Amino acid sequence: MPKSPPIVDKVYASQQSISAILTTIEKVVFGKPKECRLALACLLAQGHLLIEDLPGMGKTTLAHILATTLGLSYQRTQFTNDLLPADVVGFSIFNNETNGFELHKGPIFNQVILADEINRASPKTQSALLEAMAENQVSIDGITHALPNPFFVIATQNPLFHAGTYPLPESQLDRFMMRLSLGFPDLKAEKQILLSPALRTNQSTSTNQGSNTVDNEPVITEQALIAMQQAVTEVTVSNDVIEYIIALSHVSRRAYSGQTAQANQEPNGSADEIEIRCKPLSPRASKALLQAAKAMAFIDNRDYVLPDDVQAVFYVVCQHRLEIQPNQPLGGNQFGASVAKQILDSVDVLNPFGY
Amino acid sequence: MIFFNTKVNQQSWGIKQKASSSFYLSRKNSWLLWLCQCLNVAVIGLELSTWMLGIISLALAWQAHLLHQSRDSVRNKKQLKTAKQPGPRQGTRQSKHANNNQNKPVSPIILAVFALLGCLAIAITAKQVGILVSMLHLLCFSYVLKAFEVRSRRDFYQLLLLGLFVLAASLIFRQDLTATLIILTLLVLNLAVLHQLFSYQRKFVANVKVIIMLLTQSALLAVVLFLVFPRLSPFWQVPSAKSAATGLSDTVKPGDIANLTRSTKLAFRADFGQQAIPAYSQLYWRAMVLEDYDGRQWTRQKRFASNKIPGAKIKAFSFDVSKTEVSPLTYQVVAEPSYQKYLFALAPAVAIGDSSGIKAQAGYTFNSTKMLSQAKSYQLSSYLTAPFGVELSQKSKMANLSYPKNSNPRLEQLALQLQHNYVDVMSRAQAVLTLINKENYAYTLQPPLLDNNSLDQFFFDTQAGFCVHYASAFTFLMRASGIPARMVTGYLGGEYNGINDSQQADNTGHLSIYQYDAHAWSEIWIEGKGWLRIDPTSAVDPQRVDSGWSTRLLQEQSALNNDLLSLYQMKNIKWLSALRLQFDALDYQWTRWVIGFNNKQQYDLFKHWFGKMASWKLALIMAVSLVVTMAILMLFLHLLNQPKKKSRSLTKWQRIYQKSLTQLAKQGLDKPVAMTVNDFSKQVRRECPELAIVFTRLSASYNCLCYQPLSAAKQEELTLAMQHQYQHFIHAMKRSA
Repeated sequence: MPKSPPIVDKVYASQQSISAILTTIEKVVFGKPKECRLALACLLAQGHLLIEDLPGMGKTTLAHILATTLGLSYQRTQFTNDLLPADVVGFSIFNNETNGFELHKGPIFNQVILADEINRASPKTQSALLEAMAENQVSIDGITHALPNPFFVIATQNPLFHAGTYPLPESQLDRFMMRLSLGFPDLKAEKQILLSPALRTNQSTSTNQGSNTVDNEPVITEQALIAMQQAVTEVTVSNDVIEYIIALSHVSRRAYSGQTAQANQEPNGSADEIEIRCKPLSPRASKALLQAAKAMAFIDNRDYVLPDDVQAVFYVVCQHRLEIQPNQPLGGNQFGASVAKQILDSVDVLNPFGY
Repeated sequence: MIFFNTKVNQQSWGIKQKASSSFYLSRKNSWLLWLCQCLNVAVIGLELSTWMLGIISLALAWQAHLLHQSRDSVRNKKQLKTAKQPGPRQGTRQSKHANNNQNKPVSPIILAVFALLGCLAIAITAKQVGILVSMLHLLCFSYVLKAFEVRSRRDFYQLLLLGLFVLAASLIFRQDLTATLIILTLLVLNLAVLHQLFSYQRKFVANVKVIIMLLTQSALLAVVLFLVFPRLSPFWQVPSAKSAATGLSDTVKPGDIANLTRSTKLAFRADFGQQAIPAYSQLYWRAMVLEDYDGRQWTRQKRFASNKIPGAKIKAFSFDVSKTEVSPLTYQVVAEPSYQKYLFALAPAVAIGDSSGIKAQAGYTFNSTKMLSQAKSYQLSSYLTAPFGVELSQKSKMANLSYPKNSNPRLEQLALQLQHNYVDVMSRAQAVLTLINKENYAYTLQPPLLDNNSLDQFFFDTQAGFCVHYASAFTFLMRASGIPARMVTGYLGGEYNGINDSQQADNTGHLSIYQYDAHAWSEIWIEGKGWLRIDPTSAVDPQRVDSGWSTRLLQEQSALNNDLLSLYQMKNIKWLSALRLQFDALDYQWTRWVIGFNNKQQYDLFKHWFGKMASWKLALIMAVSLVVTMAILMLFLHLLNQPKKKSRSLTKWQRIYQKSLTQLAKQGLDKPVAMTVNDFSKQVRRECPELAIVFTRLSASYNCLCYQPLSAAKQEELTLAMQHQYQHFIHAMKRSA
């Protein structure tokens, strides 16, 4: 391996492109700088992104602008309840001229696939994405095809209580690094939205069979993105932060197994108040948490992770893995103060295993 | 371990501020606490006045009502919330808080009025019931009232401590094994309620187990302290509670002892060691000699009660051992607390061994120098068959012949007749006994009432009575017919218990004498023979004297349906009776070795361990062992708390940062545990702008040192810088202060 420059330099070198990307995104997605940064962090950490919100909140816009800005091939697939797995991954078709089977690649062979309203498809189709998301490869008729690199799945989903939705299986939920929710824009942002030209109108040709539309100029090259992703993995994590992450997942596991940790005990002993009901965090979850925190640190122009980074991504990374029943979002920041907050609040930042 | 971790992480669930100010007891815990209160009060309840018990039960019922109501309100709230709110957690929390506020609807004014009224009542009755009982009233009253205002943790502690105090106070009255076991159980219960609040286990039984384990562990310490702690004689006399005084009284009129004979309470125990226990009919335990008769009742002579005659112990009252050839019977008596002074002996007797606190009285009885508020143990030697009181002074002869004239004219008439018919003193007494035996006299514990306690009426009309009646009438007849006679009260017989006897020899072991063994008999003085015991009861009901209660009497008692009968019925069931005897033996050992462990025995124990020594050395040993015990305890506690700190060896910068946090906490700026260093420095910037610059720098250095990969040289440099920043920070703090 050729001697690579130290991580500090890589971080500094990337800062310009990162701010450029963020500016471009915020030109389209108004008033949501925090969510934009999180989405970017998810892609930099090589994770898949799930955006959940009411219809018309700008989910697709965010997904679209992310793909185009990073200069990746992009295709949108509208998931419906009669969508078949073959519609997503592709199929072999008999060609009369060559007298043989020919692979007809599905939309999944793009670098970015926008699975719109993923929870409207049947579980069978949903799980077709599973192998792709986990292994970066798909099997069609027994032949394994590698997917392009980088490969992202950006899925949007409607709240579960909407008509005609299937809940995502836990296994698939766990494969999404983050679940974002945009929420309603504030007054100023909404005004901007109303005044801005309809950016997506000329590219809305993208359908199941859509073409790769590029209307925004890509800000960085594919190679630059891969380099940045590589740099993110090299961000330094101190022992304290590792312990912090472990402590967080431990709390969720203890809560799951029914014994409320002593640390969670409020000193006045009102045990009923602090009962946490959640699913335990898997090691994959803690790994995702670490990775996302690294990406956040990278975006923040740091070559080391602070507990602040962990806290910043904790809600979006862990909330959907912790929830036993998805809350019904009513717009706004509905994932805010809940199980994730309780867990976060119960761990001492300076002394994670202090109980 | 759980107890010692005083600094459990101060958690914040977003309601931290609220949590620190308001204290919340879950409903289950509230009920447990209430139950505890009920039981604690119940233990001491017998000693309280009825009206106080009424007030207390009223307050407890009120408390229960409030608790019950709070449940309903919670339920309603929950229903409301779940209907409206999708967030389940949010909903319950809010309702709980609402409940929390609603839990104390008792306005302080009502409470204050209630308390004031109660205190007034206590103050008014104080003179009547005595200082001890009124203090207990106050204690129990405050204990019950405190439960209405458990607002903070401190209140809860106070309530529990009060409960423990109430429990301890009930030990003033009863110290026997049963009471001790009950109190121990309640102690466990009380502590478990305390533990329940802080343990992560919800199950009460599990908490009880933990407490029992902890208590067992601390038992060793308790034993050491029990043996070593100086036995100071009490600084004040335990004031006698009137209701507590049990046993015989120093005035007796016909009909008096009957109540006593219905009590199954233990009076005293006698241990004869390896010697054979005399026959039942020989066991006349003397307690008091009553010589004054006023026509209605018998009383002790004043001069005996005051006992001011110097040297009287040897000269006048005590039995002269040197003049007799009868072999002595040595035994130990452990008297139960009776709140009276008299002790028990088989006459004639002399005190042997450690006779401090015992005084021989006229009439060959013994008294304690202090009121018996605790079990008292002493040793006696009795010369059962030896004659005593052979020489009688003229004065006491006169006293034992006097009776109010015309108080019982028909008996006087009979006496004169007897005196005329029988010249010999013995035959005269025998004639009376025969008369009682032959005539239609009945022995019953429920004799018809006598007008004015008239002996005439008893002897000639009703002809039914029990020991006091017969002894009174007999003594009166003797006096009236010119024979010095007196009334003796005490106990007869006792229940044999051989369980403690290791050698299983016959007739050894101890005797338990209960209140229902109370008895009265008379003594006549005969020239040259001294005082002669004559029990007229034997003429009526020989079985009573030979072996205890006769079946006829028991049948009579069955009508009364008291526990005496059930006791006797129990005796018929073999294993139950064996069990009872076992328990009695255990209780005896408990009384003798634990309750009776006084400073004398402690001294003996030390002498046994360390040999003979000066008392100052002994005190030194005690002090040293106490200090050592305490030191070991402190060390133990220290070590228990240690690993927590040691497991995380703090780095230099961590220590500096912690110090600065403590400084800020003094200013009222607490860092929530979940807050990051950066966020906290932002908060400080907002709240104390004058500290902003220094603290932000300090925080930044800390972040770098903690999380950034640094070379050793750089680290040192930064640590040094941080130390400087800390100095600046301290200065800034001082300035701002």
